Order: sequence, then structure tokens, then C-alpha cells
Amino acid sequence: MNDSETGASRILLVEDEETLAVGLEYNLSEEGYTVSWAKDGKEALKFFDHEIFDLIILDIMLPYINGFEIAEKVRERDPQIPILMLTARTTKDDRVKGLETGADDYITKPFHLEELLLRVKRMLKRKKWYRKVSTEMPVVEFGKNKIDFEKLKCSCSTGEIRITPREAMLLKYLIENKGKIISRKELLENVWHMNPDIETRTVDIFIARLRKYFEEDPSNPVYIKSVRGVGYIFDDLALT
Amino acid sequence: MRKNRSLLYHVIIFILAQLAWLSLLGLWIYWYVYNYLVFKKVGNQISPQLSYDTTNVVPFVVGLVLLVGLSLITTWIFRNLNVQLRLNKLYDNFIGNITHELKSPLSSIQLYLETLKSRDVPPEKQKEFIDFMIKDGNRLQRLINSILEISALEQKKLAHNYQVYDAEPLLKQLFIEMAEQFRLPQDTITIDGKADCKIVADKLALKIIFDNLLDNALKYSLNSLKINVKLNCNEKIFTIEFSDNGIGIPQLERKKIFNKFYRIYRRDIPNVKGTGLGLYWVREIVRNHGGKISVASEGEKKGTTFTIELPVYQASKKRFVNKLLTKAKSNKQITLSDE
Repeated sequence: MNDSETGASRILLVEDEETLAVGLEYNLSEEGYTVSWAKDGKEALKFFDHEIFDLIILDIMLPYINGFEIAEKVRERDPQIPILMLTARTTKDDRVKGLETGADDYITKPFHLEELLLRVKRMLKRKKWYRKVSTEMPVVEFGKNKIDFEKLKCSCSTGEIRITPREAMLLKYLIENKGKIISRKELLENVWHMNPDIETRTVDIFIARLRKYFEEDPSNPVYIKSVRGVGYIFDDLALT
Repeated sequence: MRKNRSLLYHVIIFILAQLAWLSLLGLWIYWYVYNYLVFKKVGNQISPQLSYDTTNVVPFVVGLVLLVGLSLITTWIFRNLNVQLRLNKLYDNFIGNITHELKSPLSSIQLYLETLKSRDVPPEKQKEFIDFMIKDGNRLQRLINSILEISALEQKKLAHNYQVYDAEPLLKQLFIEMAEQFRLPQDTITIDGKADCKIVADKLALKIIFDNLLDNALKYSLNSLKINVKLNCNEKIFTIEFSDNGIGIPQLERKKIFNKFYRIYRRDIPNVKGTGLGLYWVREIVRNHGGKISVASEGEKKGTTFTIELPVYQASKKRFVNKLLTKAKSNKQITLSDE
């Protein structure tokens, strides 16, 4: 059984700066998490192969294997584990690359301890929520679409596809609240945790992607509809 | 990606400029030859005063010279542009690295301060955290100093404190201090050879050289570090061979490692941190001492040897000491202890 189910979430901390890692390890342990510290990319993957974690805090500039590559490798094996990138690299390109390679959130150095702990807490909360909902509703069908939320695999009119954890979360949130109008702000709060770096436009981009996958005609959606000036609604009649 | 594209644009522009130049040259030759033939054919009929007995090549040659000049200028601009692009790339790397080097210790200090403020930290942990903060503070100080000192070194504004030293005792003392400072196990550094000569040196600058070499050796060693230092003196040159058992340096990279901002990016390199300034700094200091530095490596994972050659004081007394004396006049810091 996973530790997270007994209360103590396991965190893999991948950070090569000893002084920073010791401080983070102390604070995370004080919060009640069980922390494993990997000093470089190789060690991180070794830890990941042998133990089960609920969250990864990942630096980018690491010896041997950089954080982007680690995120990719982790995502290949576990599409659901939350990854928080913690790095000194602040350019937009780095952030985009980090999020594209599989990170769920991105925090730059120097950071505030309280903010980091809050983000970790929310990511773990979301993971638990996602796991609970996945167990309750592992497979969902609407129209010609069949979505396996456990494996993040979908069969739709375009064939078999794999969706990202974030896309799955968004779809799940919409389905869970079917028939209700959901504002962009609400989606940002509950799917993106109100990350100030993410603009409202990001929600629209993700919605557009979901429509592309699951709608026959994405310009005239029948499942994920827009409510002008407010947000989106998942048609409750669509679910089979 | 954007930079590669920008380089591609420059190459295309250069090729187009060369094509334009060649076309212009062709047109120029064609125009000249055509006019020459026309004038030769009908010149006498139009104006008998015009004589075409000898070919007037001056305009032709001047035209060619101008066109060749144009081509040379284009090539020169392109070459300089490439140098500039390469420098910009190196500078971007440097900014990225320096940002990382500044932000990491800063984050750590901030983390510990916030931890101490928000939590009831036990006294032994407090001490550990304070030690980490001091370590990070020193790291920031070293980094800032290195940037400032390199800048001063380049502008020849660094006030060197040159003195005449007995080479062997000076080096041995430096390595003992280094071993203590880096907390190295006792048998990490071994010193071989004899050096019964004197050198003119700035002790602090020499310390910077070996601190940097040792720091690199520590970063790029996979197993427990072993350093061997060989000292040797001949009539003119005092040689220090600094060898480590690290991962070595590939042949292609050996010349480049002393360049400013240059860093080697390899998957098998265990440490990715640094500014690309260390070895550049080392080379500049050695040059300021009138010496030279080279690097050799038998291959990957077979260690690296840096060889530093400094002029012996007795042999280079007139030329070198005079030079230092001139420097001393301006900064009033030189003292020749044995005179």
C-alpha cells in the first residue's frame, strides 16, 4: 500500500545543491511528508524505479541527466504523478519546455517557503482527488469517445490517443460538474491551482485541444460548449 | 533554435551578397569588353581623333579593384558578424550560468531565514542552518569577487602584490592551505620534485590559480580525488604540473577551455555548475606573471594535467622585474623582499 493512503505522502526531491536540499528536506519532513533526496539525474531515476512516490520536486540543471529529460522519462512510466519544477531558470522558453515535458507546475528560485509548501500541498490534494475520481469513474464514454482515466488513453473518432494528465483533469472536472456552467476562474483554481503565471487563455487552449480530440466538429461543439463571457459547460445529456 | 535560424539568415545573406558581387563583376567585364569592341569597330568612323591603338585598362582595373574591395569588405563584415554571434552565444550561456550560480545560494539563504522565522528549529539544527547560510554567503562573495577581479585584470587595474619567493616553499605552503580550506583527506595531494629557484609572484593570485584548478578537479572526478603536483626548475623556467585523476578533457575541447565563458557540456560530466570564467581567469593570471599554461589529457577518464610555466626570477630579473617595477610605480604595491 502506498504511504499516501496512510497519510504520509512520499516526495522525491531531486536537487544537487546540498544546502538547498537539506533545508527543503527539513521543511517537507516537518510538514509530515516522507522525503527521499536524489543528488543527480541518475540517482533520481534509480529512486523512481525502486520506490513509489506521490510527488516529485525537480531541479532542471542537474548532473548527468537534466530535469527536462527526467520529467519525460517519468511521464512515460507514470502519467499521473505530479511534478513540480524548482529551478533558477526563469525564461519563458524554459517554463514552456518544463510544462511541455510533463511538469505540472513551475516555481523559480529564489522562492518563498510558504508558497512552495502550499503548492506541494495542493498538488498532492489534487492527486488524491484525481485518484479517488479515477477509481469511482475509471472509464467514461460519450458519443464515440471512450476515456480511460487510469491509463490516460482515449479512443475517439480520430483513433487511439493518449492525453496528458492536465487534459484528463480538465475533462474530468468538466464531466464531474456536467450541466453546470464553470467559469475559467474556477477551472484555474481547481485544475491549475490558480497559478498566477498561467493566463486565462491557457484554459481556452486546453478546451480547444479537448474539442479537437472529442468533438466531431470542434467549431460546433456538442459536448464541451462555451457560455459566452462566463466559461464552459459539459452537456449532461452527452454522457452515456 | 531562433539563434540557429538567425545564423542561417546571415549565411544566406552572405551567399547572396557574394552572388551579387560575382554578377556585378561579370557585368562589369562584359560591359567593358563590349564597349571596347564597339569603340574599336566604329570609333574611327564616329570620331577619327579617338585612338584605340593601345588598350586603356585603367578604368577596367579600377573597376575590378573596387569590386574586389567590395567583396573583401563583405567577407570582413561577415567574419566579424560571426565572431559577434559566437560571443553573444557565449555571453548568453554566461548569463544563464551566472544567474543559476547567484540564485541557488540566494534561495538557500532565503529558505533558511524563512525556516528560522516560521518554525521552532532545535538549536543543533539552527547551527547547521547558520553554517549553510555562511557557506552560501561565501559562495556568493567568491562569485562576485571573481567577476570584479576578472574585469579589473582585463583592464590591467588589478593591484598585484608581487614579491620574490622561493618557489618550492611557496607552492608547498599554498597546497597545505588549500587542503585545509577544501577539507581534503590527508593523502589527496602529493607533491614531487624539487624546485630550487625563485619566482616573482602575487601569492594571492597564485592561490586563485590553484583554487580554480582544484575546484575543477573536484567537480570532474568520479572517484576519490587524487592530485599530483610535480615541481621542476631549470635555468629559466619554473614548471608546475598539476595532475588529477578526473574524467579528462577531450582533444577538441582542450584549446577552448581557456576561452572566456566557455564550458564543456557533456552527458557524462558529473557537475553542470559553473560560470565558464575559472580557467580564463587562471590563464590571465599566469600571463600576468609572464608565464604560460597548457593542458594535456591522455583521454577520457584518464585524468588531466595542467602545466604552468613561470619565469625564474634570477634568469628573467632584468626584463621581468623591470616590467613589474613599472607596474609597482603605478600601484605602489610591489615589494621586493630579498633586495
